[in-house]
Amino acid sequence: MPLRGPAAIAFAAGLVVIVGGTAGLLLTRHPTPALRPVAAGVAALPVPAGPIVAPPPSAAARVPSPVSLTIPLIGVKTNLITLGLAPGGAMQVPTSGTVAGWYTGSPRPGAVGSSIIVGHIDNQHGPAVFYRLPELKRGNDVFVKRADGTAVEFRVTEVQTYLKDHFPTQTVYGPTPDAELRLITCGGAFDPATHHYLSNIVVYATQVR
Amino acid sequence: MLLAASALLLGVPAAAASAASSASAGTGWIRLAHLSPNTPPVDVYLYSFGNSNAKIVLHHVAYGEVSPYEAVTAGDYSVAMRAAGAAASSQPVLSTSVTVKAGHAYTVAGMGPKSGLRLQVLNDDLTTPSGKSSVRVIQASLKEQTVKFTCGGQAIVPKATFASVSSYQAIPANTWTMQAIGSGSTATARFNMAAGTVHTMVVLDGASGLEIVNLEDAAGAGQPPAGGVTTGFGGTAGHGPGSSAPWLAVIGAGALVAVGGGLRLRRHGLRRQMNTGV
Repeated sequence: MPLRGPAAIAFAAGLVVIVGGTAGLLLTRHPTPALRPVAAGVAALPVPAGPIVAPPPSAAARVPSPVSLTIPLIGVKTNLITLGLAPGGAMQVPTSGTVAGWYTGSPRPGAVGSSIIVGHIDNQHGPAVFYRLPELKRGNDVFVKRADGTAVEFRVTEVQTYLKDHFPTQTVYGPTPDAELRLITCGGAFDPATHHYLSNIVVYATQVR
Repeated sequence: MLLAASALLLGVPAAAASAASSASAGTGWIRLAHLSPNTPPVDVYLYSFGNSNAKIVLHHVAYGEVSPYEAVTAGDYSVAMRAAGAAASSQPVLSTSVTVKAGHAYTVAGMGPKSGLRLQVLNDDLTTPSGKSSVRVIQASLKEQTVKFTCGGQAIVPKATFASVSSYQAIPANTWTMQAIGSGSTATARFNMAAGTVHTMVVLDGASGLEIVNLEDAAGAGQPPAGGVTTGFGGTAGHGPGSSAPWLAVIGAGALVAVGGGLRLRRHGLRRQMNTGV
């Protein structure tokens, strides 16, 4: 009989905590994953129209500039803006989270060399264009459409996560002897003090021919 | 159980991160070239070492022709040259072995005169100083045994002898006038040498006089951006699946307390029923 009181209190208290915890969970839940179902819904994005072209036989052939990027597996379909360097020498990034950009200081996609495309993983409120970039695996397809209407197909060879403090500049931006693509976004831990992610995710892809 | 579930959720980001870092590609590159002026066209075979089935066969490769780079798994390979049209099973005219290291590029070229034809393995550079271009010269002209090779009027290889390969040199990024100057003939061409690009200039015997062929060995960002890229604002960082963990932990703790209390109540209730002899 003396046990009954504390046990009942514990039971009731436990229920209260559960209710409180559930309320807290629901109240603080951000509507961010809303983009996920949308993205999943377009997982079977059509391959861009236009002839897939092989790399130019010689360096003399001029490759047209890129205009859009499609990654069917993760529902990415975005126009490409052009990016340069920020005053400090770091990579300029798109002001909008909804588009990706091609770094004009790197080779054009489909030309010999490592072409750089960057996009945000999120904005202040939720997912951005490259939110699902970390889901890419070796063998996945990436398409870049060019100003002349042709598309160039790349295949993912590896996905790496690097601490920004130890970013391998030469590996990512250095010369390559074939037509390659680097897709870059943020990842890893978020530092709320600096409002920056501590790592970059780099997807390496090479042209299919 | 809920606690376990929350721990599982906490573990998800870490697991996803490690899964994303797939094994390094482990590939290098090879290209094949015919740079022997008086040697007729050849068939070039690339074999993975110890495998008699050729990985790549290039048919009828004529003097001055260079294949694009082929990405190959790092390892040992052999390259064989046969007269164009000769059976794949026939004894090759020449063969050599090449060890491909991951991330490195090689040119395997037939060099020299026909009488002294050899297969030479060249290490191709994949680096260039920031903001500059790199260039080397292969002298593959038999008409002119020695040429002076200039870039913007400056001799970058003062005396290139037949079948020689210079080392790479850094030059300022620009559109340059290149000249191969022999005793009897001169070839002149203008090439855009963009920052971050690596080139091989091949001096060939042309239909008349000399010819310069510009091979782009590799290209990268001319001005590599400093450090990493700031591509996130954290809108999904504090609210991703992982952040539910504290609340799930609270719920789990509540469940433990409630279940504990509930069990005691039940046991207490049973004992009472037994005591009353019902």
